[in-house]
Amino acid sequence: MTATNVTFKVFRFDPEKDTEGRYQDYTLAVAPGETILNCVNRIKWEQDQTLAHRFSCGSAICGSCAMKINGHATLVCKTQAMDKVKDGVIRIDPIGNLKPLRDLVVDLTPFWKSFEKVEPWLAPDAHSAPEKERLQTPEQFAKIDNSTTCIMCAACFSDCNVLEVDKRYYGPATLAKAHRFIFDSRDARTEARLRKVTEETGVWDCTHCGECSTRCPTETKPLARINEIRQAAMKAGMHDTSGARHVLGFRETVGKRGLLDENYVPIRSVGFFNLAGLLSLAPVGLRMLARGKNPPFIPHSIEKAGEVRAIFAKREELNK
Amino acid sequence: MKYALFTGCVAKGAGRELLTATMKALAKLGIEAEEMKDAACCGAGVVQEDSHTMAAVLNARTYALAEERGQDIMNICTTCQGVHRQTQRELDDNPAFKALVNKELDATCGRRYEGKVKIRHFYEVLLQEFGIEKLKEKVVRPLTGVKVAPFYGCYAVRPPAEVSDCSDPDDPDELETLIRALGAEPVSYDERLKCCGFPVLMMNKDNSMKMSANAVAGAQKAGADAMVTPCPLCHLNMDAYQPEFGAVMDEEPHLPVLHFPQLVALALGVPGKELGLDKHIVRMEGTIASM
Amino acid sequence: MYSHDVVIVGSGLAGLRAAMELAGHLDVAVVTKVYPSRSHSGAAQGGVAAALGNMDGDTPEAHLYDTVKGSDFLADQDAAEILTSDAIRTIYEMEHFGCPFSRTPENKIAQRAFGGHSYQRACYSADRTGHALLHTLFEQTYRQGGNIQIYSEWYMLRLIVEEGIARGIVAMDIQTGRIEVFRAKTVLFATGGYGRAYKITSNAFANTGDGISAAYRAGIPLMDMEFVQFHPTGLYQHGILLSEAARGEGGYLLNGNGERFMQKYAPSKMELGPRDIVSRSEQTEINEGRGAGPNKDYVYLDLRHLGREKIMERLPQVYHLAKDFIGVDAAEAPVPIQPTAHYSMGGIPADKDCQVLLDEKGNKVTGFYAAGECSCISVHGANRLGTNSLLDALVFGRRAGKSILAATEGASFAPVDEKKELAAARREIDSLLHNGATEDLHAIREELKETMTLKVGVYRNGEQMKEAHGTIKELQARFVNVRVDDRRKNFNTNLLEALELGHMLEYSELIVAGAEVRTESRGAHARDDYPTRDDENWLAHTLAFRKDDGGYELKYKPVTITRFKPVERTY
Repeated sequence: MTATNVTFKVFRFDPEKDTEGRYQDYTLAVAPGETILNCVNRIKWEQDQTLAHRFSCGSAICGSCAMKINGHATLVCKTQAMDKVKDGVIRIDPIGNLKPLRDLVVDLTPFWKSFEKVEPWLAPDAHSAPEKERLQTPEQFAKIDNSTTCIMCAACFSDCNVLEVDKRYYGPATLAKAHRFIFDSRDARTEARLRKVTEETGVWDCTHCGECSTRCPTETKPLARINEIRQAAMKAGMHDTSGARHVLGFRETVGKRGLLDENYVPIRSVGFFNLAGLLSLAPVGLRMLARGKNPPFIPHSIEKAGEVRAIFAKREELNK
Repeated sequence: MKYALFTGCVAKGAGRELLTATMKALAKLGIEAEEMKDAACCGAGVVQEDSHTMAAVLNARTYALAEERGQDIMNICTTCQGVHRQTQRELDDNPAFKALVNKELDATCGRRYEGKVKIRHFYEVLLQEFGIEKLKEKVVRPLTGVKVAPFYGCYAVRPPAEVSDCSDPDDPDELETLIRALGAEPVSYDERLKCCGFPVLMMNKDNSMKMSANAVAGAQKAGADAMVTPCPLCHLNMDAYQPEFGAVMDEEPHLPVLHFPQLVALALGVPGKELGLDKHIVRMEGTIASM
Repeated sequence: MYSHDVVIVGSGLAGLRAAMELAGHLDVAVVTKVYPSRSHSGAAQGGVAAALGNMDGDTPEAHLYDTVKGSDFLADQDAAEILTSDAIRTIYEMEHFGCPFSRTPENKIAQRAFGGHSYQRACYSADRTGHALLHTLFEQTYRQGGNIQIYSEWYMLRLIVEEGIARGIVAMDIQTGRIEVFRAKTVLFATGGYGRAYKITSNAFANTGDGISAAYRAGIPLMDMEFVQFHPTGLYQHGILLSEAARGEGGYLLNGNGERFMQKYAPSKMELGPRDIVSRSEQTEINEGRGAGPNKDYVYLDLRHLGREKIMERLPQVYHLAKDFIGVDAAEAPVPIQPTAHYSMGGIPADKDCQVLLDEKGNKVTGFYAAGECSCISVHGANRLGTNSLLDALVFGRRAGKSILAATEGASFAPVDEKKELAAARREIDSLLHNGATEDLHAIREELKETMTLKVGVYRNGEQMKEAHGTIKELQARFVNVRVDDRRKNFNTNLLEALELGHMLEYSELIVAGAEVRTESRGAHARDDYPTRDDENWLAHTLAFRKDDGGYELKYKPVTITRFKPVERTY
């Protein structure tokens, strides 16, 4: 059990004198079992007191110490340093999609503000307040057991691929917060909440990239929660969005012939009567046609497609 | 071992050149594969939004079909592969879920998923079963001097516990290893593990275009001659829509995007014109174009 | 200068609960050195106590007796009675606010056993109860919108008290370094405990007890500082808390020989003895050579017999902490543990309505209140029972809000000399930035923490405490020339750590001072040179007053005993 020398390439940035960040190298003898937070603290305490970073509980519950390690956000207090060494080096950056304030510290304001969009508090039926606790079955509690573990560390926000190109997007933690109320049996605003998060920049804008669930240090796993919200919206008949119509396009083609009809689904998604939307599909359609790359006009069907129809029919029946 | 080839919808639709190239590559390698003509769409994460359980039944049916034939499944689409691995792991790790899914599968199709079938992407078959050394031996036309930017596709790496088989999903080198084996030079760029934006193409085209454009721009800046991807959905977004990227890129985009089996087939000596390269919106130039 | 009717310092359960009581009625500001969701209340794991009786025939009276007995009869029984009789309402209220609680098969709030409680009294949300409660209140602050102004990442530098009247605080915006006076009609401190003075601690790095010594510096005495709780199940060498729920759910404690050693110390309650007794038992096993590992310096928490499924359902956080921090799979191997500094029973003396006391005679500070762990009301006496701290923060946070509302409505601002206050704050900062710069900050802090853990820890004795006292004096002298390299204004955490260390050095001396003089063993204060409780001489609260020359003076005040005469404490 001996210590290993590791070079930490740490992002440094001081808005008072730097126009952009730079990396500073520190070498530490890292002991087996040492966390990255411990290493960063030792850099600050033993080598360079001017390094600024956030941390508090040191036990993965307060959510302060998310940083990018080798390019990916993680909660550094629960990350073993030796697991992240690549060619003797660990690179540390501030979390992404937020403005660096100094060194590893970022401006979290957009993150905190994003939660305002989902009215993040329980809204029970005011007329039925019992004297004691509201009853909830263990199964109902289990539905919010994952989403309520969120510690708001912003690791998901940092690495979200959608937020990189669109700051208006709700973001994974905020959608997980919405999930926590949509699926809480005690909340009386389920439908309004579902409508809100299925609007533009909400759940249907998530691109499934999986970064949020990969970076999430808790059981929140936002992507899975987003998918649960989408299923709930479909079940509730909220079909008037391109996202929902896209799902219906799959239902109507895969559920019939076993294969996706790539000509039908885009048209179904933008909407049959959405002229502008339909026109927007034209350029790519023509390009593909010119190359003979267009999907066959007569859609394929798999063999034994009847089995697939039975599967879809069974689910339809169970959903009722 | 003969593989059950799961083509996925794109290889039967807008990306038929992928299936052509795959069959040519497999023939050159001497790997036997039989197209699963009775397998349904994997759901692409979308049927899963309709009903997670139903989508699992749909995929369990596919696995059952392969098991009945005593074959393992080979995918040629990262999305299909990721969705399949995700479903299979959930079925294998959660006996109650597996029982529920099998019950519905039995009721609707009279089939049952046992848990025996192995499911791999074409490139994983090359790495894990065929072997990198054997592949090198088969290369008759090394792609020397060609700079290729690999684009993995989300479902190859995230969330790792659910979908990935890469040795280090945060910093994989599987495609790089294969590119080297084919004699080409892998290009390193920041966007290689990012999302191409295809899943939101119909919901938010602006975002989708920006995501693909960023990836193409990154690879182009890194000096790539071409991108290569094991996911035909990434291919579609980055190739078919590339003429529209100019609006969100600093420089004019022009970067051909190859299906991974096309790159393999080229190195194995299949003439370019047999691989459907002319079907791509962005045409090849230089070395590969002359093959 | 900022101006608010009420300034609350601290954004944990006590601070946020008080703010909710005031929102919409008064102009209320919360000043916090972290973001609210980072507050240390969120780290509480196992549960929050209330005699709901969902599992058995529990009653508030039983809860009261357990609390008083657990306190080793040092709790003020009138205050403890408020805590236990308001508990049930508090839990229902939090449930109505949306707190996700684990449930019984009858769909009620589930309750589990906990150390020192004679019924299944701990309401819980898996093993992240504090997190669930804190986030519930944080959600409510969103609901309040502009009614609660939150100053996140502001560091409180000074409490302004003149002529027995609190007038506001001085605070620094950590993000810019700007120093501002916050004028207030009423100030509430909900600044948390001082466990960071110890090397092995479950406390957050932020728990440096700044509020406690800021009050002390403003002329307010500190109460019962020598009572520091050591939690029996800190992760070996890390000190990270593994919830008492692990024992509540049936976990065993084993020594190096694989024996359930609690048989010797608490034969009827076994592992569910109160924290002080269990921690001492562990320390005795280690001291007498029955520890585990190559250095025989830890014992084991064994959960294996619970089975993986129950561990994952009831104790997921415990499981992940052991797995992520020391690589032990608790379903397959016992987890190495040791006692860890956990809770500060002592703090700012306050009455039942949370108004801060100025002396041992019961005189009060006008416009100054304290609630939560920084306060000493005293409901926990010499040893707090697990799950009573979240309850304390919620009950007395609300109560503080109510009394502040009554006292502040119609009150006016007392005058503040802004220039003088800013100058005083700058002087303190300048003394850290411009001095001989010969002493290493981290070295001083480490020596302090090691000294406290080794010499003012689970077991204490006169000789070691004398040494510790000497060390602290010496460290205080060295601190005058502490080196702070960072000169930037924005996010100067180097300066912050120096300010925090100044506080730690100041109150740590009071911990030792109170402990040295108290020649008895009571609750968490255990001396091997005075192993028994001495009610004749020491059934009293310590009050440490700051003298003008920087020294201190200890005085004592009687314990309020209403219903339960002190008796010998066995489990």
